[in-house]
Amino acid sequence: MDFQAIHDRLRAIEAPGLQAADEPREPNKEKKDPGRSGNPFVTVDPARIVEFLTVCRDDSKLDFRILIDLTATDPKADGEELSVLFELLSIRKKHRLSIKASIPKSDASIQSATAVYRAAQWHERECGEMYGITFVGHPDPRNILLPDDWVGYPLRKDYEFPTEYNGISCE
Amino acid sequence: MALLENAFEENVLTTKVDWLLNWARLNSIWPMTFGLACCAIEMMAVGAAHHDIDRFGAGAFRASPRQADLMIVAGTVNFKMGERVKRLYDQMAFPKYVIAMGACATGGGPYFKYGYTVVKGVDRIVPVDVYIAGCPPRPEALLEGLMKLQEKIRKTAVIRKPAHLV
Amino acid sequence: MTIEQQKGALTLGSEGRVLPSGEREFMMDVSTSDLEVNMGPQHPATHGVMRILLRTDGELVTGAQPHLGYLHRCAEKIGENVEWLQYLPYTDRYDYLAAMNNNLGYSLAVEALMPGLEIPRRATLIRTICAEINRIASHLIAFGTYGLDIGAFTPFFYAFREREWIQALFEKICGARLTYSYIRIGGVFNDAPPGWLQEVGHFCDVFEQKWQEYYDLLVVNHVFVKRTADIGVIPEEMALDFGLTGPMLRGSGVDFDLRRDMPYMVYKEISDAGALKVPIGRGEMGTLGDCWDRLFVRVQEMKESLAVIRWCLDSIEPGPVLGDVPKVIKVPPGEAYVGIENPRGELGHYVSSDGGKVATRCRVRGPSFTNLAVLEDMMPGTLLADSVAIIGSTDIVVGETDR
Repeated sequence: MDFQAIHDRLRAIEAPGLQAADEPREPNKEKKDPGRSGNPFVTVDPARIVEFLTVCRDDSKLDFRILIDLTATDPKADGEELSVLFELLSIRKKHRLSIKASIPKSDASIQSATAVYRAAQWHERECGEMYGITFVGHPDPRNILLPDDWVGYPLRKDYEFPTEYNGISCE
Repeated sequence: MALLENAFEENVLTTKVDWLLNWARLNSIWPMTFGLACCAIEMMAVGAAHHDIDRFGAGAFRASPRQADLMIVAGTVNFKMGERVKRLYDQMAFPKYVIAMGACATGGGPYFKYGYTVVKGVDRIVPVDVYIAGCPPRPEALLEGLMKLQEKIRKTAVIRKPAHLV
Repeated sequence: MTIEQQKGALTLGSEGRVLPSGEREFMMDVSTSDLEVNMGPQHPATHGVMRILLRTDGELVTGAQPHLGYLHRCAEKIGENVEWLQYLPYTDRYDYLAAMNNNLGYSLAVEALMPGLEIPRRATLIRTICAEINRIASHLIAFGTYGLDIGAFTPFFYAFREREWIQALFEKICGARLTYSYIRIGGVFNDAPPGWLQEVGHFCDVFEQKWQEYYDLLVVNHVFVKRTADIGVIPEEMALDFGLTGPMLRGSGVDFDLRRDMPYMVYKEISDAGALKVPIGRGEMGTLGDCWDRLFVRVQEMKESLAVIRWCLDSIEPGPVLGDVPKVIKVPPGEAYVGIENPRGELGHYVSSDGGKVATRCRVRGPSFTNLAVLEDMMPGTLLADSVAIIGSTDIVVGETDR
């Protein structure tokens, strides 16, 4: 199914937390719109993300059995929000879905998707250490890629690079 | 060997003995399997049949640092791995040598500027004997680095007094 | 004779019978706990720097915990700080065995954000040829080093003989043996030199015979089958739940390949012409989804790539190889996720732009990262002696796990 059909189906089954769909559009000089290229995605309320993912996985027409990616992005250095991104894939129906949920930087926490997809466990650990997002309900929230005593959240836009670590200079 | 090391004046006998000891050492440098990243694949290619490292006597890659003479640091070293590099280097027995293979081990490589966990050169952690440039260096470059190390060993004063103490 | 009571493991138990020498036998209460064995980060099963903490009860593995991060090279942070084209050499270095595929994934993702850009057909066909030859090279290493892990030294040398030829081919076309940076945004860097395409055709003919040699040498070898069949079984449910893709998923019997089912570039034409066959594991030598099935899928994929390469060689025609791309690329605002079929699974790039010279987010979804997570649930219950075979069958590259 293409994106329109997936979005219609999500609305038809009243998927919990569904907010809006964002599709690519041409630039429009009159409305001063720079346009957007790329792929469409749906935005979802972060408080109901686990129910939304469960519906995506269990519905027979959507059948999103695989969680491909779970990551986050920091759109602006002085912005207020982080966006958590989910990529889903269906093997039998051969379609994808991109999901975005926005959470505030000051209180960056969202429910963990480990209960729905086991693949989320390691992706959430990485996302948590890179952005400082707390995944509520995660069974094992340790650092995965960075050393255990690393200070700071590297992928945030306001991250300052360290000058030394345990006596070894970083310059 | 500790009693005899650097104990004798330089004369024709000690020079010949040194020549023999160095000849034995440089023709049987056994590296440790220490491939970290992409350079490790070129190190494996050097160990394979086309660019044969065994003809230099260095074909027996030992897994344990206690049995190895040479640590070829092939790949990027980051802080988490750096502690282990130091520990492995300490476990090796004398005489031991280190080759920094590739741009990452020499000076941080392409991750020099924005790599926050990358150690900018493995010589911040262990003393290096030979640096090999390249990203990754060709297998022939690694063999040349090995030959440079062999030259360095050939000039070592084992039982003679070293030049600065004569 | 007194027996000292030791603290901890060995305690004095009950008194036993009197032996012929006159001494009394004592029963010792031996309490054991699980042994935690550290595998790595430096270990000879050279799949890279990765540490696996194994908890074993004698020979039986009761827990396995991979520890990563020993090769974390901050690729995603670098993506947000360097220009679009300057990031291309970094893409080579995460899955360094299949560098062409990494370049391809990144270029396709950025091109998805540039709708007006047209990629010439010759560029697309050369991209496909390079990606498929690199798939063969990557599977050759998987095959050779898997034999080395099990203890068979010969397949390693044979695999590297073919790999040297492939690396010479790539050196003729782009100058580098391992990290190519050849597939660029808008096409490929430069055209194939004269005679290159004929040499690729000659390579395909020779490799087909060598493939049969490799198959008979290792894959159906009695000892190899005994060591890898019925070991490390991943059932289909577990594979889907863990998000596995690529040969890990196809080895468990799931018939899904991004090139055929969600095609990109010219793969639609290739699969319509019948030149793209996707091998899946069938449990021929043991249980469906065991280590042997996964190696079987990889070795068969080497053979099927030859058909794809031959189709591209037949349909290639002279023409330009780089689209109309400025020297300093400015990508229009937007965001896109593009996933391609890497030799290890689905390699996904999520790029987002705000119209400038530098990306605002460049996320890399490496298949080895997701494929490795399955070890936590798959290894408990297996024998310690089989752990090397199981880890080898996941075919991970630590540059991709850690990025």
